[in-house]
Amino acid sequence: MTAPIAAPDIDSDQSTVLDHPWKVIVWDDPINLMSYVTFVFRKVFGYSEKKANRLMLEVHVEGRSVVATGNREKAELDVFRLHEHGLWATMEQDS
Amino acid sequence: MPAGFRPRFRWKGDQVIVDLPDDEQQILAHVLVQLRELVMGETDPVLRRLRPTARPDDDEAETAYREMVDNDLLRSRLEAIETVEAGIGGTALDDEGISAWLHSLNALRLVLGERLDVDIIGHDALQDLPDTDDRVGVFALYEWLGWLLEQLVAAATKGMARGGH
Repeated sequence: MTAPIAAPDIDSDQSTVLDHPWKVIVWDDPINLMSYVTFVFRKVFGYSEKKANRLMLEVHVEGRSVVATGNREKAELDVFRLHEHGLWATMEQDS
Repeated sequence: MPAGFRPRFRWKGDQVIVDLPDDEQQILAHVLVQLRELVMGETDPVLRRLRPTARPDDDEAETAYREMVDNDLLRSRLEAIETVEAGIGGTALDDEGISAWLHSLNALRLVLGERLDVDIIGHDALQDLPDTDDRVGVFALYEWLGWLLEQLVAAATKGMARGGH
């Protein structure tokens, strides 16, 4: 026999876990040095040199690159750290 | 590397050694004072380059984001400037110190690049300015900061390869 299960207390804030993941995007700009941008990707995200370099080139050639994804809080922190480093970063929800 | 070249930043042990000649120390100290005034003033349009829009698709979310981070971003910039000022005469940088120098040198470059309209005029045209042009001095400063930053990135990358940070 099992004790009756009380109605769970659902916190509406928890609904954020169902959010679509967010994308962190870095945009090309003519000022930041290529070597610097690669270094920042390695430092902020812990990416390998190869991956960081590929993302940097994507920004340079395509004009933008999705450099990270995650929940909103993580994306906000990523954008903050990229802005601290002077990169032109935005975030948007994956649709 | 030309003979007699003195690297401004080099990786040694598990730190980056800063070694700037006197004249460069003075220039850097001078422009950092201006950078501090600029970021504390909070009105110069060039600041948009130091705190870009995070949520271009959503004005309300952008306002909320700015309210959440702007003080932290300003504090971070001011602390980074202080760290650089404290070490201009020569120092050894740990991971945090490296970040402070990277942030500050790059911020200075961004501000000067905005002032020079690098995005509109382009580096090539700025390089070919006649000596009489007012922008020649600012462009030289911009190029020098880029040269410093390249060296710092190279030194810090060397440390990263060795698992230093």
